[in-house]
Parts: sequence; C-alpha cells; structure tokens
Amino acid sequence: MLKYLIKRVLWMIPMLIGISLISFFIMHLAPGDITSNEASFNPKASEESRQKLREMYNLDKPVIVQYGLWLKRMATLDFGKSFASHQKPVFWQTSDKDGNITKGMIQEALPITLMINVLGLLITLALAIPLGIIAARKHLGWQDRSITLFNFIGFSIPGFWLSLLLMYWLGVVNNWLPISGLHSLNYESLDTWSKFKDSISHLLMPVLIPSITGLAGITLFIKNGMLDVLHQDYITTARAKGLNEHQVVYRHALRNALLPLITIIGLSIPGLIGGSVIAESIFAIPGMGKLFYDAVLMRDFPVIMGILTIGSALTLMGNLLADVAYAWADPRVRRGVMQ
Amino acid sequence: MQAGSNRFFSFFHHQLLLSALFASMTISVVACSKAPPIVPVDLNAKYPAESGGSLVDAMMAEPSGLITMIAGESAASAVAGNLFNRLLKYDKNLDIESDLAESWHISPDQKTITFRLKPNLKWADGKPITSADVLWTWQAVIDPKTASPYSSDYQLVKKAEAPDPLTFSVTYDQPYAPALDSWAGLQILPKHLLQGQDLHTTAFARNPVGSHYYKLDNWVHGENIRLSRNPNSVLGQARIDKLVTRIIPDNSAQFLELMADNIDAMGLDPIKYSRIIPARPELRNKLALYKELGNSYTYLGFNLKHKPFDDVRVRQAINYAIDKQEIIDGVYLGLGINIASPYKPGTRWSNPHLAPYPYDPGKARALLKEAGFSDTDGDGILEREGKPFSFEIITNNGNKEREKSAVLIQRRLKEVGIDVRIRTIEWASLISRFIKPDEKGITHFDVVILGWSLGLDPDQYNIWHSSQQAPGQFNFVGYHNPVVDKLLEQGRLELNPEKRMKIYHEFARVLLADSPIVYLSAGYGLTAIHKRVKGIDNPAPPAGIGWNSQDWYIPKPLRRNELSAN
Repeated sequence: MLKYLIKRVLWMIPMLIGISLISFFIMHLAPGDITSNEASFNPKASEESRQKLREMYNLDKPVIVQYGLWLKRMATLDFGKSFASHQKPVFWQTSDKDGNITKGMIQEALPITLMINVLGLLITLALAIPLGIIAARKHLGWQDRSITLFNFIGFSIPGFWLSLLLMYWLGVVNNWLPISGLHSLNYESLDTWSKFKDSISHLLMPVLIPSITGLAGITLFIKNGMLDVLHQDYITTARAKGLNEHQVVYRHALRNALLPLITIIGLSIPGLIGGSVIAESIFAIPGMGKLFYDAVLMRDFPVIMGILTIGSALTLMGNLLADVAYAWADPRVRRGVMQ
Repeated sequence: MQAGSNRFFSFFHHQLLLSALFASMTISVVACSKAPPIVPVDLNAKYPAESGGSLVDAMMAEPSGLITMIAGESAASAVAGNLFNRLLKYDKNLDIESDLAESWHISPDQKTITFRLKPNLKWADGKPITSADVLWTWQAVIDPKTASPYSSDYQLVKKAEAPDPLTFSVTYDQPYAPALDSWAGLQILPKHLLQGQDLHTTAFARNPVGSHYYKLDNWVHGENIRLSRNPNSVLGQARIDKLVTRIIPDNSAQFLELMADNIDAMGLDPIKYSRIIPARPELRNKLALYKELGNSYTYLGFNLKHKPFDDVRVRQAINYAIDKQEIIDGVYLGLGINIASPYKPGTRWSNPHLAPYPYDPGKARALLKEAGFSDTDGDGILEREGKPFSFEIITNNGNKEREKSAVLIQRRLKEVGIDVRIRTIEWASLISRFIKPDEKGITHFDVVILGWSLGLDPDQYNIWHSSQQAPGQFNFVGYHNPVVDKLLEQGRLELNPEKRMKIYHEFARVLLADSPIVYLSAGYGLTAIHKRVKGIDNPAPPAGIGWNSQDWYIPKPLRRNELSAN
C-alpha cells in the first residue's frame, strides 16, 4: 500500500507541472493584459506608463520565458504578487521592514469559501442521505415521487433568482435576516454569543440555498445505489435470516450503497475551494469564486495561476484520497489495488 | 415485516423531525434578535444643521489601494477623495478655487505658476504640511519607478521649486493651459511617511494618512471601509461624523439594501430612477432622487481608415439617419441630452451655437446617393462598386445601454439601406484586438460604440490630434485634420479663458462638420439618497450634488441607532 501511495504522490509532480504549463498558455491566449482594463482607457493615462507597467511585470517577454520565471518562483513556493490589487501577495501574507502585515488574497478568501462550501456539503449530505433512503425504500410510492419532485424543482430553479426573492422576503419585507455581506457593521463591538449569531444569520441564505437546490444529484445517487443494493441476493438472505428492516437497511444495505459516495466526495474536494461567483456576488461574500472571476477579467495572471495551481493540487490529492478511502472501505477494491 | 417497516419509518421520521426542529430553532434564535423599534419620524420636516451621524453607501468593487497616482480605478478615487487635498479644487460652478494653496500667481511669460500655501496646515497625524510635501508628491508622480498612469501632465514641468515652506513654484517650457486643472487633480501625499518607500508595496496604500475632512478608521477587506472625521482637517470640519462604504458587488443586492434602509445612498440606472422608485410609495417617501449631468458622453465612432467611412458624406449621412432622441428616450428613458460638441452642456467650453444633426433620413439617402451608393439589385441594401453597404458595430458586452442603442441604430440604418450586424465583445479583448492597432498599424473594426468620461479641462489633444494614433493611444478612429491639430495645439498654450473658449468652440464646430463620430447622448448621473441626509443642493449645480458634501448633515432624530457617533 505504501509503495502505491508513494508512486501516486511522485506522479503528481510532473502532472502538476504539465497542468500549470497548459493553464499558463491558455491564460495567455486571451487578448489583453492588466493594462487593458477599463480604468486604463482614460485619455489622461499615457501609453508610456502602461508600457512601463508591462515591463515591470515582465509582460513584454515571450510567454515561455514568463512561464519559466513563474515556475522558478513557484519552486520556492512564492506565489508572487497580484498585478491588479496593488501588489498584494497572492497566497500568504508578507510583512515589510516596519512589521506591517499585508494579508494574502487567497489567505483571506479561502477560509470563507471553504466554510460555506463545507457547511453546504454537510447539510446536503445530511438531507440527501435520509431522503434517498426513503425514496428507495418507498420506491414509486408517494414519498418517492414527492421527494423527486421537490429535488427537481430545487434543481431547476435558478439559484440567483431564488436568492434575490428570499433576500427580498426575508430581509426587506420582514427584517428577519441580513441581506448581504458576512458581518454586521457593528460586529466588532458585539459579545461572543452575538458575534456567533451574527455570523450564522449572515451565512444562512448563502449556505442553505445552494445546498438545497443542489440536493437533486446526491439524493438520486443514493436512491439508485440503495435500489441496486436492495435487490441483491444477500439482502434477501438477511431478511430470511429474520433481521428486522432497520438492521437490513442500515447495517447491511446502506454501507454498500454509500461506497460510490466516497468517490463523489473525493472528487468534490477541489470544488470546495472554488466558490460560486454568482452566489458570492449576490451575497457580497469576498470568496474564491469572486477572486478568480475578477482576476480573469482583469488579466491578473499571478492570482489566476495561484488559484489554478492550488485547485489542480487539490484535485490530484482529492483523487488520491478518494481512491485510498474507497480501497479502505471496500475490500474488493483493496485486493485489486494491491495487485 | 409490517411492524419492522413501521419502526424503520418512524425512526426516520423522528430523525427528520428533529433536524427540522433544530433548523427552525436556529433560524428563530438568530432572526428574532433583530427587532428595531418603530419610532415615527417626519422625514420631510425642516431640521437645523448639526454635527454627527453616519452615512452608509455602497460600491461594487473595493479599491486596490488608496494612493490614486497608482490605483486608477474610480473606487480608489471615490474613497481617497475624502482623505487627501490638492493644491487647487473646483467650486460649485466649476471654476478653480483654492484648496491647500491660498493663492496662485502666473508669471507674465505664462510659463511659471507660483502657489502660496495656507499657513499652519497639518496632516491627520499632526505633522505640518509644507511645500516639501508638494515637491515630494510631484517628484513621486513623475518618477519612472512609480509608473503612474497619470504622469504626463506633470512631466511637462521643467523645474519645480519649494523655496520656503509655504511656497511652491513650477516652470513649464511653454505656457500650458491645462496646468491648473492638473494641479487640481494631484492629491498631495505626506513626505514624512512615504519618503524611501516603494509606492507600489507600501503599507500606506492600505493605511493612509491624509489631510482632508476624513481619515481612515478601518478597512475590512472585501467588506467595508470606514472613515471618520479628521480633527486636523485643513478645510474645517465636515458635519457628518462617519462615512461607511459597504462593498456590495451585485446591483440588485445594493438596491435591496437600500430598500431595507441598510444603506443611505446608491447610484441608479434610468429604470430604477424613473419607474421602480416612483412606483413604490414606501420608497418615494424615504428616498430623494437627484440627477446631475456628468462629464461623459456615448458615441458611435467610425474607423476612418476603412472605406467608406473615409468619405465625410457617408459619415454625415449616418449621422442624419440615426434618431438620437429616440435613443435617449428609449434607452435612457429621457435622462440624457442630445449634444453637438464633446463637452458638458452648460459649461463655457460647450459651443451654444451648435445644433446636433437632426433626424433626417431623406437627407441621409441623398448624401449616400451623392457618395455613389445605390440599390442596384432591389434588395433594400445599398451597393457601391458591386459591394453592399454592410458593416459591423462592436461594443463592450455587459453594457446594456450600448447594446440597446446599437439595436435602435441598426433599425434606423436599415431604413436608409445600410445593413448592420452587432457584436458585443469582452472589454479587454475589445481594446487589445479590435481597437488597438496591430504591429502593422491596422485597426480591426468598422464602427464602435463607446463612451468618453472626460476631465474638466477642455483639452482633448490625446483623443483628436493626428499624432495620437499609435497603439495604446486614444485617436484610434484615425482622425487627421490639420485645422483641428492646430486648434488643439493652440488650446494648450492659451491661458486666457475667453480666448481659450473661442478656440474650443471652433474646434467643436469643425468636429461636428467632419463627423468622425456620432454623438449619441450625454447621460445624467442618477442617485437616490435617503431623506435623512439634509443639506443637499438640489437642483444640482454644475459641479454636481457632491460639491458641498461636507455640509450635509443628518439630524439626530433621523439617525440610525447602532451607528450613532456619540
């Protein structure tokens, strides 16, 4: 097992380099650079200054040279500084000679996105698993049909539309929840319990809406998995042995039906760091989705590459984790991996 | 089996019920903590002016930094404008008046300007403001290491001196008429805090110290920026104690916050201004609407190097064929002005004797016929030398007003026999692939719809002079008229406002006759501000409603609870 793991991890390095090379070139295919944004289309802004900026950021060099410079920096895990955001560090904070700390852009955006996505995933699982089991158990009954209906309605509703409607009803018509943002303006002056309540009330809509509208996929997955398993011979054996339905479903059937879920979760790890730019824009959440989208529009190459690198590293690791977890959970796969 | 399945179902049911109960408990706990007391107040009553209170507004993106000579975006200048002073500024009628400089003197040869600073000025940290700060700021803006996009005006200064702490003088090679405007635009930075720092990486950009009405209290990145009154403000004290700007990227979310009374002010588009707010009594009652003419206009620009746009008759024909009032009424709901010169109407630079091209399709057809176009095959589209008159209008995507204008133009041009295709392109691609000339000097567009947002000085050399056609410069339409070149050069040398005005009136007249662009409209800036903010000058003077924002006040009975200053 260890040899397998080491081989996989070693393979990740050339794969990461390959991914970053392709990403870098694709990124440079889009015309324009940091000097072609709307703010610089100002008759008072001279072309010489834009040219100087391009030289300062090495944008006038051939693409392969720029890639080499980037790779050299990345070898020391230096993600560089943002072009657009006044040279803020892309990944982690830096401190200057006077001890002033400037926080990194990913350092600020990642925790928020991670928290929202992890909470959303947990809520989705907590709802989808029971719903999938009921739907499988009562297949073609009214419970199954209504669960499927509810899920597909949630899936079809545009998230941003539902968000705006709920923001209007819950925030404007009734003053029950805040409309946008992460914290109230008086957050710092609150006591710990009020701070906690404040954070929850701000996160309620951004977390619940995507997780409930995204229920459909996982519910269907669990339901189909359960249906497959419930028709297996060993389930009939278990029932014939005299086990009650609770033991049959939970102790025997559910575990097997949940196996593919491990793969799904492993593959969704990279998605955890990529926030939805639409949800983040609507709820004014400064997360990774908005960071990436703004960076692309501004052609902020260091930020784009930083996020792509982290994303690809996490994808590769997520794949590995999913494979390892699957092997751990399913003895059939474990034997296959060992050989 | 029956008993088993019932037990199974009830267990589940139990589980679901518990989670639903927990969820609703959580929601009720957090939601019920907000119960604002309803105190009836009369928003329309007269209240005496008093200090204090806080004004909350919103912006769509946060500034990248607060040193405006580097951070060019409007978010940066909006916030930094509250923090820093310049040597001069504009008064309510858009005349130059003093800011840090109490007086200025232009030498007889018109090449030297000497500013005299007000005495006893202090930075927010208490240190004195002297001419050394002004000299340092000028050196910083022209420093190649700073790479400031806005250095071109200041690079024309051949010599700058600070002979004593209250005197600063600059000498130009030739008289430079836009000079005073440039000194009304340069925010003066503190030398004692920035000397020796790299302006691109200094922490000052996120923690500035200025001299104006407000100082930075706190900046929570991505969420809000808080300013509070600067006790050392060089121009006296503003009335409102705190300015809070929330970062809300989505326009609808901003509007919802405005409706819920979480923000006090918001920039509006024509639909919100004319239709949505007036239709809702609860919004009409608490929001006051303001409109002011901006210093910008939208235009249809021809690529003068592409046939047939090199023919002035074709350009004029298209100008006659487009109904500009229809665009103003349909796209901007009437909230715009049909202009005939590239200046803000009502200012001295705008030529009052010029009239825009009227909507006259008959004249358009006649001009096109004269230029050699005719519909030989009867398909409704004109041809010349066998080629149909068909072209593509491009504009940047995401700007709904320009897209709608393009559609209206397409229809009007079809009526005179011109076939138009519309294409919207993402901004950076638009600028770098289509507008910017390539290495061979060729620009790849036919017609573009864009806008200019101009400064207050009438100089438009960078846009219209024939020397400004290189890649990255702004004469991308390719306009070359020696008469206009001469006028633009003269306009930069003439310091007398009366004579200068005549030069630019003539410039606008020639430009209108040549029609290298079609002026589509000069739009109004539209704002909604909560009625609790009093002291706003309405109708807006030429400088806009913000000219006296330091005199706005929020009476105590109308203030928001959690943010009261005291």
